[in-house]
Amino acid sequence: MFIDIQDLSFTYSNSLTKAVNCISFTIEKGEVISILGRSGSGKSTILRLIAGLEMPDEGSFTLNGKKIMDDRTFIQPEKRGIGMVFQDYALFPHMNVEENILFGLSKMSRKDKKRRVNEVLELVELEGFEKRYPHQLSGGQQQRVALARAIAPEPELILLDEPFSNLDADLQVKIREDLRRILKKANTTAVFVTHNINDAHALADRILKIKDGKIDKIGRPCDLLGSTSELPNTGEVIFEELLPV
Amino acid sequence: MNRYLANVNGWTIGAILIIILLFIPNVSIVTGIFSSASENWAHIKEYMLVNYIKSSLTLVFFTAMFTVVIGLSLAWLIAQYDFPLRSFMKWALILPLSIPPFIGAYTYHGIVNYTGVIQKTLRNQFEIVPNPSFFDIMNVPGAIFIYTLFLYPYVYMITRIFLSHQSASLIESARTLGKGPWEIFLKVVIPISRVSIIGGVSLVVLEVLNDYGVVKYFGIQTFSTAIFQTWFGLGDLDSSIKLAASLMGIVIFILIIERILRGGKQYSYSTTKVRPLPLVKLKGKSAVFATMYTLVIFSIAFLVPVIQLMDWVILTFGKVPMGEVLVYTRNSVTVAALSATLIIVFSLIVGNFSRIVHHKFAKLLPKLTILGYSIPGAVIAVAVVTTFIALDRFLAPVYEFIGIDSGLVLSVSLFMLISAYIIRFFAIGYNSIESGFDKIGTDFRDASRMLGVSRLRTFFKIDVPMMKGAIISGFVLVFVDILKEIPLTLILRPFNYDTLATKAFQYASDEKIMEASQASLLIVGVSAIAIIIFHKLLREEPK
Amino acid sequence: MKRSMIFLVVAMMLVLSACSSANNTNTKNEAAKTGSEVKTGEVNLYTSRHYDVDNELYKKFEEETGIKVNVIKGEADELIERIKREGTATKADILLTADVGRLFRAKEDGLLQEVSSDILSKQVPSNYRDTDDMWVGLTKRARVLVYNKDKVKPEDLSTYEALTEDQWKGRVLVRSSESVYNQSLLASFIEINGEEKAKEWAQGIVNNFARNPEGGDRDQAKAIAAGIGDIAIMNTYYFGQMLNSQEPEEVKVAENLGVFFPNQETTGAHVNISGAGVVKGSKNAENALKLLEFLTAEEAQAKFASANYEYPVNNNVEPSELLKSWGEFKEQDIPLSTLGENNAKAIMIFNEVGWK
Repeated sequence: MFIDIQDLSFTYSNSLTKAVNCISFTIEKGEVISILGRSGSGKSTILRLIAGLEMPDEGSFTLNGKKIMDDRTFIQPEKRGIGMVFQDYALFPHMNVEENILFGLSKMSRKDKKRRVNEVLELVELEGFEKRYPHQLSGGQQQRVALARAIAPEPELILLDEPFSNLDADLQVKIREDLRRILKKANTTAVFVTHNINDAHALADRILKIKDGKIDKIGRPCDLLGSTSELPNTGEVIFEELLPV
Repeated sequence: MNRYLANVNGWTIGAILIIILLFIPNVSIVTGIFSSASENWAHIKEYMLVNYIKSSLTLVFFTAMFTVVIGLSLAWLIAQYDFPLRSFMKWALILPLSIPPFIGAYTYHGIVNYTGVIQKTLRNQFEIVPNPSFFDIMNVPGAIFIYTLFLYPYVYMITRIFLSHQSASLIESARTLGKGPWEIFLKVVIPISRVSIIGGVSLVVLEVLNDYGVVKYFGIQTFSTAIFQTWFGLGDLDSSIKLAASLMGIVIFILIIERILRGGKQYSYSTTKVRPLPLVKLKGKSAVFATMYTLVIFSIAFLVPVIQLMDWVILTFGKVPMGEVLVYTRNSVTVAALSATLIIVFSLIVGNFSRIVHHKFAKLLPKLTILGYSIPGAVIAVAVVTTFIALDRFLAPVYEFIGIDSGLVLSVSLFMLISAYIIRFFAIGYNSIESGFDKIGTDFRDASRMLGVSRLRTFFKIDVPMMKGAIISGFVLVFVDILKEIPLTLILRPFNYDTLATKAFQYASDEKIMEASQASLLIVGVSAIAIIIFHKLLREEPK
Repeated sequence: MKRSMIFLVVAMMLVLSACSSANNTNTKNEAAKTGSEVKTGEVNLYTSRHYDVDNELYKKFEEETGIKVNVIKGEADELIERIKREGTATKADILLTADVGRLFRAKEDGLLQEVSSDILSKQVPSNYRDTDDMWVGLTKRARVLVYNKDKVKPEDLSTYEALTEDQWKGRVLVRSSESVYNQSLLASFIEINGEEKAKEWAQGIVNNFARNPEGGDRDQAKAIAAGIGDIAIMNTYYFGQMLNSQEPEEVKVAENLGVFFPNQETTGAHVNISGAGVVKGSKNAENALKLLEFLTAEEAQAKFASANYEYPVNNNVEPSELLKSWGEFKEQDIPLSTLGENNAKAIMIFNEVGWK
């Protein structure tokens, strides 16, 4: 099993109820998983727990055979080899695109770093934007830079927090396609969180439906969400997208 | 797995150590509340407290009101409109902060009194002998006038930065809803700036509460008068510490009110959404009005007193020993810069700790350091001396071991003075740093760590550069405050150590205001340079 | 540009901090040196006098004796508190204050030690020295009446007490009770006339106030010129300073005013002193004594008198021309330490009668 998460629970310090309540699941290498749920369901918290940004009450997590956390171990986020794209991208405003991407690259020769930057920029189709600053980019471009930055260090797992929530509706569809293409091309294992059924349907190999901090359902999009008629705003585009899965 | 213990690391230990160090001297004051009352207490209560508290509250209330009116209106004009002289006024309106209120009081009294330039000119040139009581500023309204002039920049500065950086979408959407400028000001600007207004005005209130220079000269009896009257006059330090401790109580009360008013709101923004508020160009009458308004405030709060000081410098030129002016200036700048740097470094450590550790105490504890800012400096001085002498006693074997033949080492060094500054002004620096941390939130830090970068490197590569504005403004505020500080400098300095402020005070306290003008003007000059550098650094930020 | 600015600031800070730490080690080295060199020459002074003439005299003393004078200036009570807390380890050798009440307080707290020598006794009359030789006076100033020459005839004036009479209603100017000069004035009345009479006097003055007390001594003189009142209680040397001010208007004001020494037929005019005592546990007591002798010797006394319009305590030294022009006067005949003893009582009376 590439990723194995068992009995994950978490309570916020200012709350009595568990935000995440005893969640277990596994992920195969190269799989794209969507965590779907309403806001407040605890889905983002799961992501932060996997990232190591929050410390769970209990639970264990192994990544590619490496113990990341259990009762005794807790590997700090910077040592986990996990990449993350934040909801508002969190591009460092005082660094240009190139510097943002370079920031996560260490233990590499200068030449390799440069090469890697070019590679990922090509992947997200933003060649020539190296010297731009984040505030000079459109929302979609920022999102792709954030993705490029997260992919650049070649993490074993990449996490995406509501990757489309800040984008225009028509852009969403386009970016969604790009994202799936990029993830599959890089053969990256990914977990992304969304509240949008369309996104989950379009992107994920498998969907984890979360309700009140617990797993409600788990399964392939078509099994879980049934026919596309259940989806709002359905259209051919989505149907076509589903075909290759 | 204990989630709180897991947060124990260098940050936590450093932060807790700093907070403890800041607190130790204050403890001796806090315990003063519980000391038994002396035989003087009944007298103090009957004849001093009620009246003095009344006048203190009057001063605080009106000064707060006027500083908000002036500070907020200026902030709004500068943040939202373009008019002639705007870019100059943007930073020039901070300059009054460089004039210590007691110097301002002496200077203004010098201008308006019987032999001052106004009455003199009226009398000699125009043969008008005005009613002198018309020019009397040595009363409660006069003190409010002085405090307002030289303290409003706290409100102006903090509110303007907030308005220019964080209000664009709200104000613009109000405009698209067809609201006029006044309505926007009343219904949008004031409510959304509440937090920064309160932040600025609480600094003003604390300054007024523990000021002694102005009220002493004007003969107004306030709470700090009571503290010093009890100590110097009745020779009863214990009772005066008891009073200072009650002042601390009042301040804690104000702090709690502030918390409630803030409603626990935390604004943090992500840079992608923040853009500066675009300026509206004023034309015709309104442009003239805006320019005039800012010009008038700038003139009476800065230009007029500075010109008067210059006049006196010329008048007394050659009569005041000048040989060591450079030494005083260097002393002032060195000790202020060094202390301000330490305060900012400590604030960063504590602020980062308070951000990382999700625990109520981690948020509350650093807030309490504002106590150091809330009690008169002379009382802190006593606490600091006591602490350092205890420290020296404790270290005596070490001194002996390394061959120093003296019981007092730390307490006769600059180290004691710098520590006292840190205790007193930590809150000013911390306020700024904390709001900086609030503003950047935690996403950038998380993002950095997710890219495999350690906490320490994240701190230096991400947090510090992103908080440049907060760091610089915190530094300048503290620097300027220390430059004009009096009681601590006076009492805790090492032998033969003079600064500009002690020089100015030395003359002013003996009613030789003209002789004090030289050092006063240098304080203003050095502070003004610091403010200008601060402005330049901020302007060149990529936007 | 931006980078270079930041760099500049950082560099500046580094240099500055380097400077100051160098400073620190310097002073520490000095301290260590003087410790090992068997006290060849320094004397540490805590003083609440802020006059330039004092510094000149210290420099002169250094030149003549080779003994370095180290100074900390501050408010008297803060300095006393600091000495108290420093205890036996204190570095202070001399405590110098501009008010005898503070010296009394230091003595009461056991902070001073006996200091006497033939030279001191010769230079300073015994009434300006402590009965137990714990302190010695350096200069004196009288608290007198200053009046509007146009409206008040000197014949109308007699005593401090007479100012409480009805004819002075709304005409008397004096600064606030926070001033130590007013406190010691009232303290002297408590000593001479008793507490009850002193309180009556304070109440009488309050009743005759021309305005609520505000400003310093100089401001009272200006208020006479402005016509707010006709007579003011103020210290002689402030009046001297005004007559010699750089500001011509102040000179004009002072020239229209007359100086009157009250109570010449009765108890004498109120006098307070600047004085100094040697701190208990002083490590340079001999040097301290030398400095006190120097400051009360004729040369230094003449300097005090001419530069600051204070009266010398040394009988061999004449006051300045200006002071002489006001004539000789009779002083209160009470032990100066009573001013300190009655200080707290004086403040309570001020509070009780509402003298702001």
